[in-house]
Amino acid sequence: MRQFFPVEDLARDERFVQTNMAERMKDGRTAIELKESSAKSRGATKRLTPERHDASDAARGLMHGIMVGEIQALEGAGRTAHDFAAGDGTNDTIPFELKLDMARQAWDEARHVEISAKLSDWMGTELGEFAENTVLFEAACSNDPILRLAGVNRALEGLAIDVFTQMKEFGDVAGDPYLEFCEDWMLADEVTHVKMGSDWLRKVTANDPDRRTKALEFQQVVDKLFSFGGARGESPESSFSLAKRFRELAGFTDDEVQTISEMDAEALAERRAAVLAYREKVGADAPA
Amino acid sequence: MTDVSTAASTGRVTVSPTEFVFVKYDANEIAEIVAELAARFDIPNPIHVIIDETTPLAKLSEELDGTGPAATITLHAESGALEDRQHPMSFSADNARESFGRILLRAHDRLRPDFADVPADIDLTLEENAAWDTYCVGRLARLGIRANQQRWRYNHRNRFGFDDGVDAAFDALWAADDLGWAEVLATARS
Repeated sequence: MRQFFPVEDLARDERFVQTNMAERMKDGRTAIELKESSAKSRGATKRLTPERHDASDAARGLMHGIMVGEIQALEGAGRTAHDFAAGDGTNDTIPFELKLDMARQAWDEARHVEISAKLSDWMGTELGEFAENTVLFEAACSNDPILRLAGVNRALEGLAIDVFTQMKEFGDVAGDPYLEFCEDWMLADEVTHVKMGSDWLRKVTANDPDRRTKALEFQQVVDKLFSFGGARGESPESSFSLAKRFRELAGFTDDEVQTISEMDAEALAERRAAVLAYREKVGADAPA
Repeated sequence: MTDVSTAASTGRVTVSPTEFVFVKYDANEIAEIVAELAARFDIPNPIHVIIDETTPLAKLSEELDGTGPAATITLHAESGALEDRQHPMSFSADNARESFGRILLRAHDRLRPDFADVPADIDLTLEENAAWDTYCVGRLARLGIRANQQRWRYNHRNRFGFDDGVDAAFDALWAADDLGWAEVLATARS
């Protein structure tokens, strides 16, 4: 069986259309307020809550993103279980128990794909209705298994914790019993997946501080990417926030949570600056 | 601002902007779709379409500057309402038909005497919006314009609740024709 699968070769049927982060960043449109002071004065929030005028459609879009994210997480965990030989964690090997954890995660993700597909149907979304961003699987393509743990289990699954917490609250406030229930159960799995990543990263790099440092640096790069230009953060301009309590349960330290929070704010500011620069370049503004 | 006219219109349809920078949309194509819908709905009024291409959101609204056939209907659409969701920044004629169809039917309703007391779009509550959307999209679907009923059922449930009574009210609104504003609200709350 083939090892080290490139993102271009992911198997999808004709319903799915894939895109990537570079393509998404070419989109000069934005829903965020471009002047920091104006967001409050307009009283607008982009937080995904039932109070938003476009709440159900925004939730449908996010649910579809979760569904394709689960497919990619399944593929990522499955690849890590298969791509590396069992060993002591050195020389491109991984402990056999880590393989077992990755296999368990793949089983969880497969269940999440089914749940998310059914939730999408319940919300009136067709599979493949939205473009699939392959950025999540790209974080699972490193040749170093420890970088995969940092990218997939800590950054990607950490993002899942944030998103599921927001969706669970959405279902709770809207009174959607299925959404609230399903997100709660999937959230419990995601906390476990992040905890597995946190534990294995520390264990395998216990005698290799350089490798650990590189892995944590890689995680920061991926975390910033997964902020999606400030879609995650504490600003009212962000669709969902950092689920700090669940991240603590999953093995993130207070400092790590604080660092991610600061990177989310940076990502929002950078996105704002990039959009303003683009608008200046094309000489465009919103209609009065 | 330059207007784009279309000969295919029952009235005169204008679109602004005439050229798009952020998205790959064609003002003439938009004008033709709106004109075609206006003809199907028997709307003789002049129509002005304003697209906000700077946001990917999908908010829609309509306003009229009078009540008769000479009143100008202005349709506001954020670019996401006309977008091919598989290919961001690209135009989807199907989505444009559903979006413009929905607010053109609202405009058509607003011309009726029994909609005289309907608030302006910006003053509608989320529940009132959802009820009117259900009523409009049900009619669109019967006219053969593509609409995912489950999407609108979910939207309706989010505003009125997740129970069988709400579903029955949704079905009644979806199947309804020729309602006044008070009847739309009464059906949604039944």
